[in-house]
Amino acid sequence: MNVGIEALNVYCGLAQIPVPALFEGRGLDAERLGNLMMRNRSVGLPFEDPVTNAVNAARPIADDDRIEILITSTESGLDYSKSVASYAHEYLGLPKSCRVVEVKQACYAATAAVQLAAAYVASGVSPGAKALVIATDVALVDERAAYAEPAMGAGAAAVLISDRPRILDLDLGAFGNHSYETMDSARPEPTFDIADSDRSLFAYLDCLTNCLAGYQAKVDNADFATTFDYLAMHTPFAGMVKAAHRKLMRESGGGTASVEEDFERRMLPSLAYPSRVGNLCSGSVYLALASLIDHAALDGAARVGLYSYGSGCSSEFFSGLVDEESARTLAAMRIGDQLDGRCELGFDEYAALLPATLTCLVPERDREVDVGAYEHLLGRARFDRDLLVNTGTKDYHRTYEWLAR
Amino acid sequence: MTDAQIFETVKQNVLKVLPDLRPGDVTTEGTLTDLGANSVDRADVVTMSMEDLGLTVPVSEFQEVHDIRSLVDLLARHA
Repeated sequence: MNVGIEALNVYCGLAQIPVPALFEGRGLDAERLGNLMMRNRSVGLPFEDPVTNAVNAARPIADDDRIEILITSTESGLDYSKSVASYAHEYLGLPKSCRVVEVKQACYAATAAVQLAAAYVASGVSPGAKALVIATDVALVDERAAYAEPAMGAGAAAVLISDRPRILDLDLGAFGNHSYETMDSARPEPTFDIADSDRSLFAYLDCLTNCLAGYQAKVDNADFATTFDYLAMHTPFAGMVKAAHRKLMRESGGGTASVEEDFERRMLPSLAYPSRVGNLCSGSVYLALASLIDHAALDGAARVGLYSYGSGCSSEFFSGLVDEESARTLAAMRIGDQLDGRCELGFDEYAALLPATLTCLVPERDREVDVGAYEHLLGRARFDRDLLVNTGTKDYHRTYEWLAR
Repeated sequence: MTDAQIFETVKQNVLKVLPDLRPGDVTTEGTLTDLGANSVDRADVVTMSMEDLGLTVPVSEFQEVHDIRSLVDLLARHA
């Protein structure tokens, strides 16, 4: 049985700021722009939260009565008990027979959910069953985050797992994992992240090497330089992925092509969307996969090596096949158009939004969010379908409405 | 393996990662950041040096590294 990703979509918000404008506004050293390899970062608006991002990503692929499991993966939880999935289940109109659950392990959790869901589908306990995994997050960064601020994105990636893998046919059983406790980054309170960038970078690289070794222990003759036609990795910022690629090429002996040429051929297609959005957190590796499928000239089946890393930490290297059908299927989501349609913010507009966006996870018994107050920004954004927006809370119950296109 | 050999390995890797530097720029007194290394460059220098020396140092221990001398000292403890 073939199992994998049947459908994939991302939602990366209605607004973005060019990274050079953010550098200038914050007085950051422009020489470091090259290392980030970032053009824009998506910016959440005050009526967007983990629920709206999840629903807005998943809605085009969620009209399917065979969905038996809904899993949200987030490091932007809204409640100690009630899941983001419970709201997403309602606003996506999913069957009441559906299992609903939320998972957490920083940026890695969605991949754990994808693998568990794929194994469920492959097990045959419920023939034809599908699982919807939604990785959804918001950014909680301002000037305190220094160079991490321009790298953080916001939004969600939705992945439908089934036995009709039109997007990615998973290599079942081909994976390597690596996990251990470390405090490289965390979200100890609902208004800010802490991050130790050096520790996180080392852990990311260390886990990648160990995950690949685990993969190679399961797959005879697997080699980083030659087994994978393309690569898509969790992308905190594109420059970090480039360093990871360089490290693994060194460790694998490099193959025949130069490291730079190999990077441009096998990795660069996966970085086009991440460099326009920023770190999508839990959904990052799936944004990279979408970027790869939309930007690589797929001609016949191609094997993709995927790497997912989540601080704290847990990680996985796995693989699957993509082909022309993947490209045709994903093209219907028009992800590039969605990104083009975001409203471009100036630095002052961006800074004015932050106080409201930085508190969107803070529990409040009653709150009203006036969506109409942001008409001036909505009027500059282009979107071609109705979108869910957060209108506040009432007795801690979050309230939502559909915003007509 | 002497500290001098370890320092020489680190220095060669700094020069590979930051090719605009002159060999005399890299001293045990300096920091990688002062030499212009960003976080990705620093990780490259450390991982390349571990590979050249055939060492495996737990990632968590690099937290105590603040200059090239402390990096050499850490690598020496695991040599």
